[in-house]
Amino acid sequence: MICVPLGALFDDAIARLAAAGLDTAALAEAGRRLVVRAADGTTFVTTRPTDVPIYVESGAADLGIVGRDVLREQRPDVYELLDLGFGSCRMVYATPSGHDPTPGALAHLGAVRVATKYPAVTRDHFAATGRAVEVVRVHGSVELAPLVGLANGIVDLTATGRTLRDNGLVEREEIFDSSARLIANRVSHKLAAEPVDELVARLEHAAQ
Amino acid sequence: MTEAAEPDRWPDAAPLPAGARDVLPVEGEELAAIEGALRSAFTSFGYREVRTPVLEFADVMDRAQEGGLGGRAFRLFDDHGEVLVLRPDLTIPVARLVAGRLREHPGPVRVSYVAQALRPAPVGTARAAEERQAGIELVGIAGPAADAEVIALLVEAVRGFGVGGLRVGVGDVELTRAVLAGLGIAPEAQARLRSAAEARNLVAWRRAAADLAIPEDARRVAAGLPAMRGGPEVLERLRDEVPAAGPECARLAEMLRLLEAHGALDAVLVDLGVLRDWGYYSGVVFEAYLPGVGRPVAMGGRYDTLAARFGRPRPAVGVGINLDLLHAGIAARNGDVPAREGVVIAGGLDEELATAGALRRAGIPAIGAPATEGAATALARADGWRFAARRVDGVLELEDLAAGVVAACDDLVEGIRSSRS
Repeated sequence: MICVPLGALFDDAIARLAAAGLDTAALAEAGRRLVVRAADGTTFVTTRPTDVPIYVESGAADLGIVGRDVLREQRPDVYELLDLGFGSCRMVYATPSGHDPTPGALAHLGAVRVATKYPAVTRDHFAATGRAVEVVRVHGSVELAPLVGLANGIVDLTATGRTLRDNGLVEREEIFDSSARLIANRVSHKLAAEPVDELVARLEHAAQ
Repeated sequence: MTEAAEPDRWPDAAPLPAGARDVLPVEGEELAAIEGALRSAFTSFGYREVRTPVLEFADVMDRAQEGGLGGRAFRLFDDHGEVLVLRPDLTIPVARLVAGRLREHPGPVRVSYVAQALRPAPVGTARAAEERQAGIELVGIAGPAADAEVIALLVEAVRGFGVGGLRVGVGDVELTRAVLAGLGIAPEAQARLRSAAEARNLVAWRRAAADLAIPEDARRVAAGLPAMRGGPEVLERLRDEVPAAGPECARLAEMLRLLEAHGALDAVLVDLGVLRDWGYYSGVVFEAYLPGVGRPVAMGGRYDTLAARFGRPRPAVGVGINLDLLHAGIAARNGDVPAREGVVIAGGLDEELATAGALRRAGIPAIGAPATEGAATALARADGWRFAARRVDGVLELEDLAAGVVAACDDLVEGIRSSRS
C-alpha cells in the first residue's frame, strides 16, 4: 500500500512510480476515489500531503511519498528511504522588501513575529539562530500576513520566488532545501524487506 | 426530512490527560492473560519477577544517559524539594536495582518485570503516555550466548500466542562502529552517520557517506550499510568487504548459530539498519515486528555500560515487550469477544448462596444478582456471561444466553457441563 500526496507532487509522483514499473494507470484516472487498486495488486491511497506521514507512521500505508518540508515539520517516526528529486523547492524566511524589519522587532519587542504553515520548522530555525520568535499559525496565503501587519515576516516554501516577489517580499534567510521523499513504515520496511528494497532500487534507477 | 438523532450528551464528562486511557474489563482480562503467558515463558528460562517504584530520583535516572533524560520524563518535586521522575523506562530502574540490591549476586542475574513506563506523549501524536511493558534483563554475561537466550525467549514467548509472521530484526552497534572505523572514517563523520541512523534517515546517511574522504569502494560499503539485511550470508559479505570487522561479524554469526539451536533462527533477520540509541546500547540491538502492527512490538539490546553508572559494572542484555502493541497484534486476529462461562444467579446475593457456592467449588464463576425480574439476564448480557439462573416456584431454571434456550435444571453444575458439549 503506497500513500500518494494530492496536489503539487501528484503528477510527478505518478510519473516516477510508472517509470519504476508500477501500474499507475488506475491511479492517474482515479478521479475522486481515494483508494485505488492497480491490476498488479498494488494499492494506492491518495491523501493531502500533510496527512501522508501519519498514514505511514501508523502502518495504514506501508510506503508514502511526501515533501521533506512536511517531514521536517512533523518529524514522524518513519524511515526516509530515498530522495526522489522532484518537487524541488526551498524553505525560506522572507520579509517585506526594503528595510528588513527583523532586527528592529528583536531590539524593540524582543521577538520577531512570523506567520507560517510550519510552526515547528520556524521555532527550530529561530531557536537555532539564537533569536526569539512569536509564531502565527495560518493555513493559506501566508504572504498576506506581513503586508497587513499581522506579522513581520513569513517562513514558507518557495520554488521560483515568484509569489514572494509578486507580494513585495524578499528572501532573507534560507532554512533548508526540500524535495519529494520516499518514506516507509518502521514495520513494513522490515516485514516486506524484499519488495521494499526492490522498489527502492527501481525508483533509484528510474531517477537516473 | 428527519434530523439525525442527537447523540446523548455526557454532562459530567470527566476527561483524561493527553496520552492516558482506561482499560475496561474485556481488555483487562485479555491483557491479564497475555501477561500471565509472558510470565510463564519468562519463568521457564528462570527469570524472576522484580518490581521497582514508579517514583525515582531524577538525578539517579539521569545518570543512565549522557546528558540525562531531558524532556522525556514527567518530573515533580517531593516535599523536600528533591526532583522526582515517574519512571520513563524499565531497563534503567532494573539496572539500578541489580547494581544495588543484587550487587552481591554471583551472576548471571535473570530478572523480569511487568509494569508501566511513563513518558510525556510528543505534542500532536496519539502516542500513549503510559506504556505497559513486560521484559527481561540478563545481567552478568557478555557474549553471544546471552544475546541469543534473550532473543530466543522473546521469539518463544510471542509465538506462544499463535500469531504468525513474527520477525526480529537484529543489528549491532559495535559491529557498525567496527565497520565504520575499519573503513577509515573519522570520528566526526561517524557522528554525522550516527545522527542520520538515529533519525532513520537513509537519505541523510547516504549523503554523509558520499562526502566521506575515503576510497570509492569503502564509500560504497558505508553508503549501503543500513540497507544490508538478510541471513548469515550478510555477515560473510561484510567480513569480506571489511576484514577489520571480522571479530564482530564472527560474534554475530555465532549468535545466529545459537539461535538456530534454540529453534528461533527462522524468525530472525540480520538488519544493520536497526540502529537505535547508539549512546546507550553497546552490542546487539533488536526490534520485533508483527504483521498489522505499525510499530515494533518489542525492543531490546545489549547495554554493557549502564550498570557501571550505578556502581557495579556488569554486562547486560534485555528486551521489553510493549503489551498494548502485542495485544493489538493478537486482538487483530480474534474478532468478536466470546461469551465467558459463568452463571449470574438471581438471588445469588442472599437466598441462593448455597447454589452459588456449589458452582464456585466446581470451578464455575457464580455471580450474585438481585432476585428482581430480569436483573440476572441483564447483568449476564452486560458482562458477557453465558448463563443466567433463577428459581421459579422452587425449581431452578438455567438460561443459556449464547444458545438462547431456557431449561429447568436441578443441578446447575451438571446442566452447564452438558451444555459444553
